Amino acid sequence: MSNDTNDPLSSRRAPKQHRRSTQAKSRLGRLCQKELRETLRDRRTITTLLLMPLLVYPLLSMSLNRFLVTATAGTSEETPYTIGVASDAQGEVLLRWLDDPMSQPPPAVLKASGGQLAKFRVVNTMSDNLSPVEALKQNQIDLACEIQSVAPPKVHLTAYNGDASSGAAMRILTERLQWLRMARAEFVAKAVSPDYVPPAEVTVEKVGKVQERSMLGTIVPLVLVLMTITGAVYPAIDLTAGERERGTMESLMASPVRRSSILFSKYVAVVVVALLTAVANLFAMFTTLWAGGLLPLLTGGSEAFPWLAVLQILGLLVLFSGFFAALLLSLTSFARSFKEAQAYLIPIMLLSLTPGMLSLMPGVSLNGPLAIAPLVNIVLLAREVLQGTAEAGPAVVTILSTVGYAAAAIAIASRLFGSDAVTRTSQQSFGTILRRPEQESAAPSPQTAAVTLALLVPIYYLVSNVLIRIVPDLTIEWVLVLNAFALALTFGLIPYLAARLSRCRPATTYRWRMPPPLAFAGALLIGLGAWGLAHEAFVIAQSLGIGGLDADRIEKTKQTVGAIKEAPAWLLVVCLALAPAVVEELCFRGFLFSSLGKVLSPGRLILATAIIFGLFHVVTGNMLLIERFVPTTLLGLMLGWLAYRSGSVLPGMLMHLTHNGLLILATKYEDKVRFLGAGFDDQLHLPPSWMAVLTLLTVAGFALLWIGTPKPESTVSAAGAWET
Amino acid sequence: MLLVHSLTKRFPIDDGVLTAVNDVTFEIGSGEVFGLLGPNGAGKTTTMRIILGLLQPDSGYTEVDGLRTSADPMAVKSRLGFVSASDGVYPWLTVREMLLYFADLYSVNVTEAASRCESLCDMMDIGDLLDRRAGDLSTGQRQRVTLVRGLIHDPPVMLLDEPTRGLDVVGVQTIFDYIDILRRGGKAVVVCTHRLDEAERLCDRFGLLHRGRLKHCGTLSDLKEQTGRDSLVDIFVDLIRN
Repeated sequence: MSNDTNDPLSSRRAPKQHRRSTQAKSRLGRLCQKELRETLRDRRTITTLLLMPLLVYPLLSMSLNRFLVTATAGTSEETPYTIGVASDAQGEVLLRWLDDPMSQPPPAVLKASGGQLAKFRVVNTMSDNLSPVEALKQNQIDLACEIQSVAPPKVHLTAYNGDASSGAAMRILTERLQWLRMARAEFVAKAVSPDYVPPAEVTVEKVGKVQERSMLGTIVPLVLVLMTITGAVYPAIDLTAGERERGTMESLMASPVRRSSILFSKYVAVVVVALLTAVANLFAMFTTLWAGGLLPLLTGGSEAFPWLAVLQILGLLVLFSGFFAALLLSLTSFARSFKEAQAYLIPIMLLSLTPGMLSLMPGVSLNGPLAIAPLVNIVLLAREVLQGTAEAGPAVVTILSTVGYAAAAIAIASRLFGSDAVTRTSQQSFGTILRRPEQESAAPSPQTAAVTLALLVPIYYLVSNVLIRIVPDLTIEWVLVLNAFALALTFGLIPYLAARLSRCRPATTYRWRMPPPLAFAGALLIGLGAWGLAHEAFVIAQSLGIGGLDADRIEKTKQTVGAIKEAPAWLLVVCLALAPAVVEELCFRGFLFSSLGKVLSPGRLILATAIIFGLFHVVTGNMLLIERFVPTTLLGLMLGWLAYRSGSVLPGMLMHLTHNGLLILATKYEDKVRFLGAGFDDQLHLPPSWMAVLTLLTVAGFALLWIGTPKPESTVSAAGAWET
Repeated sequence: MLLVHSLTKRFPIDDGVLTAVNDVTFEIGSGEVFGLLGPNGAGKTTTMRIILGLLQPDSGYTEVDGLRTSADPMAVKSRLGFVSASDGVYPWLTVREMLLYFADLYSVNVTEAASRCESLCDMMDIGDLLDRRAGDLSTGQRQRVTLVRGLIHDPPVMLLDEPTRGLDVVGVQTIFDYIDILRRGGKAVVVCTHRLDEAERLCDRFGLLHRGRLKHCGTLSDLKEQTGRDSLVDIFVDLIRN
């Protein structure tokens, strides 16, 4: 080797520090190209992309056709019900009866039941050496019929238990024979008695548009969404966890390119593959349905290929692919291997099925919270697009919320991707999280907080369910005491044990310190005024369709209000105001605040604890009281800011106590405070004068707090607690 | 060319905290091959990852070509070439596509990248593999591709982490030739290895790491003088036993 000018090492080029944005963009394009090239060359991608739709849909179509043929037996010339008899003579008798116009239902009945007369085929099963009942058991006929030639003749029908077609054949044949008896009787009656007047003659008609939603109309979008997911899963794992498994992640992270750029190129590749899968599935499915003559079931009558609907669904699938690819990448970016990524994705796939199944339920339509529910909203919108019933409002909400979710998932993924490329912390065992540290600390770690929250969810669910089961047998006093006890057992005891096990100092963990006196005054005023704002948030949320009280829920609420009026005031205040104020504040604005404050900025900390606070108030027993989310989160935000600004958990307790106490006492003494003129109705806005006073009190409270407390420092202390 | 100053890095582990790198300092000049030696778990790879900007040190700093990693990590990364212990490749790309991809990551002009790709592959005797799928290569061929990948942007400083791991005699000789080319090309080279015999043949100076601490640093004769031992192996055995 010589060191001359041809030596590749001699042509050293100084790397450019500042690249123009156009160069950066074209490079981003090349990065995307590389990811796509790598993915599309992989045979496994192609299998999911092309072979699956090509094979699956014809098979599905054939199965569906078979199902429809069975389900519609008897309703057309081609698929009559088959009745088995034991002799030709019996068959002739039966056919004579069925051919008799008198056996046909009157026009009104025929019109009311859809206008189609069922067809029957009569066979003598003895020609195959089988009795009609045996033939029925072997599924060769729909109904077995035995006719005894006595006067009058006796007919015995046998249907197969649980077989819809057999059951329908029995019902229709019984009715036909009944019509025959009635018509002949009427004929004879008219002949014998000229004065015979038949009962009222009935005519029928139907008005309005058909609202029936075909099952196929929901299944098709659901299958498309699930197939799109399937197409995106493999490339998402391969392009992220696969980098680690192949040993290329380290070299990739060592290169001078922003992680977000690399992730974006991978995102583009996953979206493209997901979209190609969606397109392949969409056209394979519609072509199969069209070729199989099943399109009318989907579109509600028209046999023409629904180009517009297909393009609209394709647009929705573009949106969905963008969202789901981001979600997948945010999960797979965290995984270190294919196996780990698959372990993360299996629950997601199962979770995706649940809302998908929800959209299959009758009566579920795209409105209210469902318009913002990921996956369900897309499936429902696609269904409504197919049936031409989509409305602009929910459609826009669906699109905007999905775009929002996608943006959030990409942001998370770009933070996670490559962040764990080399660190040893990921090698820690689960035991590390549970192990008691040797040294004392000021506040629990975020990991401890996460484990505590993970424990709180099932325990709180269990405890609240047990409470609801035993409540009907108890007096209101016992219910109140048990409620307070359960609260202390969950939100009090579990964080306390977590703090003790992780050797955290109670005072700093719970932020138990004396704030400036004006903080208490401010907290008191906010507590007196905030309930009005929370009430308004509740009413507004309901008007927007977030949650809602049905008649049953309103009745239960009235029963609870009635019970509260019977209970002693002191017990109500202790159990429903003091206990939540102390326990919940220690948990949310103490334990969680000091712990999550180690990693979150003040704004995010207040928001995160408020949302967690709101979510826990939504879960009651096995019901989700979604309508409670908005007001409690709003209160959580106020309590969070109070806790942040005062640097203590104590003013929040006072505000919480005042707020709950006021509401409880107002409920108890509702009859005595009616002179104030307020309508304490959950469904109504408060009078403007009330709102003005309550807002003034709240603003005054915040102003006092602002003036009376020093501005907290914007960084966390070494111990993790916020310094004030 | 490369300065490592008072570098310290700790990791939380099951039993408490592990100090993987403890106050490590050394400097490497242009055209010098520095062997960062130590048994498994000594802190070699961690030191290298901090230099690469993949890990943040708890204290201390590193400088490449006068640029501090913490101040401008992207500029530092563009001046570093890295050959990882794992010979990871993108199995569905051809060797050429993969090398051009990495050249692009380092902002090498397309024409120049194509030319360097050809000449470096010829130099490493894998010119005929350029259009073969990387997934079809043998271990030795992959290793050569990885070596070319580290040089595609012509960096002034090269970091080689266990470059001979899993290679046969021919493969090891290829690495020796490669490092020799780097030295003659004026690169500052850090070679992390626990193969003392190889290091003795390859390196100009040595840093002996043990339990995160740099126990000895200097030329082979310096180390012999410091320890009174005749070979690197003896020096090492003493170090571990004591």
